[in-house]
Amino acid sequence: MKIKLEKFGTTLISRELGSEAFKAFQSTLLELAPNEELEIDFSGVLTLSPSWTDEFLSPLLERLGERLVLLPSDNLSVQATLKILQEANKRPFKFK
Amino acid sequence: MEEKLIKISEAAEILGVSIDTLRRWDESGKLTAIKKGGGTHRYYREKDIEIFASNLLKFASDWISQGAEFPGTFYCPTSAVFQARLVKMEHLLMEKTGFEKLYSLIVLVAGEIGDNSFAHNLGKWPDTPGIFFGYDIQKGIIVLADRGLGILETLRRVRSDLSTHVKAVEVAFTEFLSGRAPEKRGNGLKLVREVILANPIDLFFTSGDAEVNLKGDDKSFRVTRGPNVFRGCMAKINF
Repeated sequence: MKIKLEKFGTTLISRELGSEAFKAFQSTLLELAPNEELEIDFSGVLTLSPSWTDEFLSPLLERLGERLVLLPSDNLSVQATLKILQEANKRPFKFK
Repeated sequence: MEEKLIKISEAAEILGVSIDTLRRWDESGKLTAIKKGGGTHRYYREKDIEIFASNLLKFASDWISQGAEFPGTFYCPTSAVFQARLVKMEHLLMEKTGFEKLYSLIVLVAGEIGDNSFAHNLGKWPDTPGIFFGYDIQKGIIVLADRGLGILETLRRVRSDLSTHVKAVEVAFTEFLSGRAPEKRGNGLKLVREVILANPIDLFFTSGDAEVNLKGDDKSFRVTRGPNVFRGCMAKINF
């Protein structure tokens, strides 16, 4: 399954909205088959912050582990945010 | 050539304040009006309004240190208002030559600092909730400020050993605080520091009497003790 983060907005900054996005995503997550990967597509996102991402991707990483796959992005805020979250979580994301 | 004068109602609309506030500012000398031919009606030069509104840092510091009023156009009472104004700024930055890629890091820095103010003070604002958020894309300046608890008081709740503003700000910018209980704390300021150090963006940040000044080509992170004690937090970003 592939999800486009821009569906949740293009300026993804606040913890509050990251947490809301995660809750809203739960019903879609139920459709993910047990061995299926979840691909995260950052295209269309203008700014991504560690606060928003920590509320959305960190719990997904905890739940899905290796099945969470991030697609590459040339957006500077996406790159910087993913780097700091890997340090904070002491766990790397899997990239495609 | 005579400069165009605008009415007090127009000036009030531009600045986002009430007419009464402008009358008060005129009486106190904060923003002096012009009275034509000895009349009682107040007028303003357009240029004076522009210059007055451009002193972002003064508005922010006077607000957090003395509770002084400032143009309402810079006030974000809720995080939803902040988010909307941040998106507007993002679009203006994207159109600025040379900022086609860098814009997202500037928005990230401003967004994290502003969001921190809301996240850490929600339900705990000592008096005025919300933040000051002003920017001038042309001049390359963003100013954010809040009259919240400040970094020391916020971090003390999970790190009771912290005793000075300097140490608290240092921790906020350098350490990953473990666990998010009882409050949610991000990695935001850690990333703000890394982004500022690696990019042509300058930051001045203050909370209590602690100051961080990351400026120029040869930046190094250091928290120092400044001459003033500010409540809440204030940040100036230059690019």
